[in-house]
Amino acid sequence: MQIPLLIAAIIMFAFQTFRSKRLITSALWLAGVSALLSVVFFQLGGWQVAVIELSVGAGLVTILFVFAINIVGDEVVEERSLLPRSFVVGIILLNTLLMGWFLFPVISQATEGTEPPFSTMLWQERGLDILVQIVLIFAGVLGLLGLLAEAKAPLDQPIAEQVAARRESDLKALQDSSLEKEKEYAI
Amino acid sequence: MNLSSSYVGLIGILGLLGVGFYGLLTTRNLIRIVIALQILVKATLLGLIVAGNTSNQINLVQSLAVTVIVADTVVAVIGIALAVQIRRRVGTLDVKELSTLRG
Amino acid sequence: MITWLVCITIVLPWLGALAVWIVGDQHPRVQHTFAMIFAVSTGLISLLLPAYVSEEIVLRLPAGGIFGEFTLVADGLGVFLAMVAAVVGSLAVIFSVDYMRGEAQLGRYYALVLLFIGAMAGLVLSGSLLLMFLFWEITAFCSYALISFHNDDPKAVAGGIKALIITSLGGIGLLAGAMIARANFDSYQINTFLEQAPKLPSDILALIAFGFLIAAAAKSAQIPFHTWLPDAMEAPTPVTALIHAATMVNAGVYLLARFYPAFEQVPGWTTAVIIVGLLSALLAAVMAAVSDDLKRALAYSTISQLGYMVYAIGTGAIFASQFHLLSHSLFKALLFLSAGAVIHSVGTRDMKQMGGLGKDMPFVRIVFVIGGLALVGLPIANGFFSKELVLEKGLAHGPLWGYVAMVICAGITALYTLRMVGMVFYGDRRKKERFHDAPSAMRVSLSVLSIGILSSWLLAGPFVDLMIRSLPFHHLEGIGTGELVMEIITAPTTWLALGIVALGFFVWSLRSQMKPLVARMEPLATFARQGLGFDWLNLQIVNLTKRSASALRTTQTGQLSWNLFGVVAGLVLVLAILTTGI
Repeated sequence: MQIPLLIAAIIMFAFQTFRSKRLITSALWLAGVSALLSVVFFQLGGWQVAVIELSVGAGLVTILFVFAINIVGDEVVEERSLLPRSFVVGIILLNTLLMGWFLFPVISQATEGTEPPFSTMLWQERGLDILVQIVLIFAGVLGLLGLLAEAKAPLDQPIAEQVAARRESDLKALQDSSLEKEKEYAI
Repeated sequence: MNLSSSYVGLIGILGLLGVGFYGLLTTRNLIRIVIALQILVKATLLGLIVAGNTSNQINLVQSLAVTVIVADTVVAVIGIALAVQIRRRVGTLDVKELSTLRG
Repeated sequence: MITWLVCITIVLPWLGALAVWIVGDQHPRVQHTFAMIFAVSTGLISLLLPAYVSEEIVLRLPAGGIFGEFTLVADGLGVFLAMVAAVVGSLAVIFSVDYMRGEAQLGRYYALVLLFIGAMAGLVLSGSLLLMFLFWEITAFCSYALISFHNDDPKAVAGGIKALIITSLGGIGLLAGAMIARANFDSYQINTFLEQAPKLPSDILALIAFGFLIAAAAKSAQIPFHTWLPDAMEAPTPVTALIHAATMVNAGVYLLARFYPAFEQVPGWTTAVIIVGLLSALLAAVMAAVSDDLKRALAYSTISQLGYMVYAIGTGAIFASQFHLLSHSLFKALLFLSAGAVIHSVGTRDMKQMGGLGKDMPFVRIVFVIGGLALVGLPIANGFFSKELVLEKGLAHGPLWGYVAMVICAGITALYTLRMVGMVFYGDRRKKERFHDAPSAMRVSLSVLSIGILSSWLLAGPFVDLMIRSLPFHHLEGIGTGELVMEIITAPTTWLALGIVALGFFVWSLRSQMKPLVARMEPLATFARQGLGFDWLNLQIVNLTKRSASALRTTQTGQLSWNLFGVVAGLVLVLAILTTGI
C-alpha cells in the first residue's frame, strides 16, 4: 500500500511550499508535489497522464518558476497574512467539510464499464478539446513573450504617482462641481 | 481498482484543496499565489484520476486531464508573466503594497 | 415592396449617420447637405408607408436561441408614428442647417440625430418585444448623447445623464415585461402577447401592465419621472424639438396605446393611467405658467400635452390620443423651432430679456402664434380638433373628475401660451439692438410645419381607417373627417372648453388689476419654479444612492487576499446550497 504514504507525502510537500521563506524553495517543493502526484496517477492506472504530469508539471512549470524568480530576484518576503488566520482556517475547514460530504457518496459508487483506448479517446472523441488546447497554447506563447519582454525605459515620474496625482485632481473637480450643483438646488 | 484507494484519494483531494486555499489566502507574494493556484489544480487532477479509477473510465478522464494540464500550464505562464511585469513596472510583488496603488 | 420600404425607413437614416461621420468635420458644407439628403429622403419614403399598411409581419429575422425572432410589422399605429418621426425629424434636420452653422463637431451632431430618427422608426415598427426594447434603449442613448452635445458645459452633461438614468430605469419595466411574456408564451411577438394576454394569471399581467406604465411614464416624462425633460433644454434647439415632437417622448405614449387592449382589464390600471396623465397635465401646466425660461416653459407644456395623451389612453380613446400626438408633434416642433429661431437671434432663453420682438421678426411671430393657437386648441388649428376629441371621449368614457381637471388644465394652457407670446413678441423692448428674422432654411421647415398644423386634422378620417384596418385587438370605431368635425363642433363640451380657454385669456388680460393677488401667490409660484419639489426628491434619491455606495465602498479593500477570500466564500456558499439541497 504505497498510495496512502504517497498522499501523506504530497500533502506535506504542499504544506512545505507555503512554509518556506524563499520563493525558490517553494518552487522546488511544488515540483516535488508534481512528481509524487505522477506516481499516484501511475498507480491508479492513468499512466499517460502521469507521464505528462511528470514532464510538464514537474519539469516545464518548475523551470518557468525558477526562471521567473531569477528575473525578479529571490527576496525573502514578509509573510504576515492580510486576513485574520482564524478566518482562513475557518473557511477552509468549512469548505473541506462540505466538499467531503458532497464528494463522499459520489466516490463510493464504483461502476463497471469498458471504453476505447486512450489515443482514440483523445484524438477522436475529444477532438474539440484538442482544438481548444491549441488555442490555449498560442495564448501561453503570447504569455511567454510577456515574460521575456524587455522593461520599457523608466518614466520620469513613477507611474503610480502620476496616476495618483491625476486621480486627486479629478476627484477635486468632481467635488467642486457637485458643491456647485448643491448650491444651485439650495437657491 | 478498489474502493479503499478511492477514499484515500478523496482525503488527498481534500488535503490538497485545503492547503491550496490556505496558501492562496495567506500569502502576500504574487508568485506564491500562482503556486497556490498550481496546487489547487493538482487537487483537481487527482480528483479526475480518482474518479476515473472508481468508475472505470480512466481513458476518458485522462483525455480531460490533458486539457486541464494544458490550461493550467498556460495559466501559470501568464500569471508568472504578469507578476514579472508588475515587478518591473511597480517594483513590488506584495499584495498589500500593490493595493495602495491607485489607478 | 413593403419589406423594403420598412427597412429603408429604419436603415437609411443610419446609413446617413455613417456617411456624415465618414465625411468628417473638415467639410461642414458637405455634412449639412448629406444630413439633409438622407433625412428628407427618409421622410419622403416614410410617406409611402401608409399605402401598404397591414397587420402581417413584413420581415422575420431569426435571432437564434432565447432571443426569438426579430420581426417588423407595419401596422397603422407603427406606420403613423414612424411617419411622424421621419417627417418631423427631417424638418428638424433642415432647421439645423441654419441653427448649427459654424458649430464644431457637426459629424457627431448629425450622426446622432439620424441615428435617433432611425431608432425611433425601428421602435414603432418592430413586432418583437425584445427588438423594441433594443430600439428603446438606442433612443435613450441618443437622447443622452444629444442633450449633452455641448459636452464642455457641465449643465448639459448633467442633464444628459439625468435623462439617461431616468429613461433607462424605466426601460427595466419594459425588459421585465418582455421577459415575463417570453416565459409565458415562448415568444416575444407583440401580437401573440396581445392575443394571449387574457390567459395570463391576473397578478402577472398586472405586474407587466404596471412595469410598462413605469417605462412609458419615464420615457414620456410623466410625473413623477418628468424631471429629465426640462433639464434636457441644454441641448441644441433642433434636438429639443426632435426629442419633444418627433421621437423620444412619443415612444411612451405609443407603448401605452400599443398594449392598451392587453391591460384594459387589469384592475386599477386605467385609473392609474388617468391619474398619471392628469397630474402631469395639471402640474406641468402650472410650472409652465411661472417659468421665465422660454424653452423650459415649452418643455413643461410638452409634459402637460403628453398628459392629455396619457389621459386619453386611460379613458380608452386610443385614436384620440394618437390624433393629439400627431397634432402635438407638429405644433410643438413648430413652437420649439421658432423659439430656436428667437434664441438664435437674441442669444438668451430668458423671456424677461425679450419683449417686443414681433417687429423685428414678423415671420417668426406669425408661425409662433399659429403654433400657440394649436397648443391652446383654438379652431382651424389641428390642436383644436384633437384636444376637443380627447376631452369629449374623456367625458363619455372616463370619470367626471378627470374631465373637470383636464378642462381646467386647458384654461391654464391658454394662460401660459398667451403669457409666452406676450412676453416674447409684444410689450416693451428690453434690448436696444435689432434682431434678424429667421434665415431661409429655418423658414422652410417652419412654413411646412405651419401648413401641417392648419391642415393635418383633415387626415383624421383616413388615419382612423388605417388603424382600424391593421389593429385587430384595439376595437376602434370608424369615423370620417367630416363627421368628426361636425361631432366636435356640435358637442357641448367643446363650447365649455372654449369658454374656459376664453376665461384663461381673460385672466391674463386682467393681470395688472390682479397684482395683489399675484403677489400673495408668490411663494407658490416660487415653489412651482423649483419644480414643485420633484427636483428636491430627485436630489434626495441621488444622495441616498451616493451614501449607500460609499458605505459599501469600505468592503472594497483593493487587496487581492480579501478578493480571493470572497471567491472561496462564494464556493462554500454554492457547496452549502448543493449539499443541503435548498
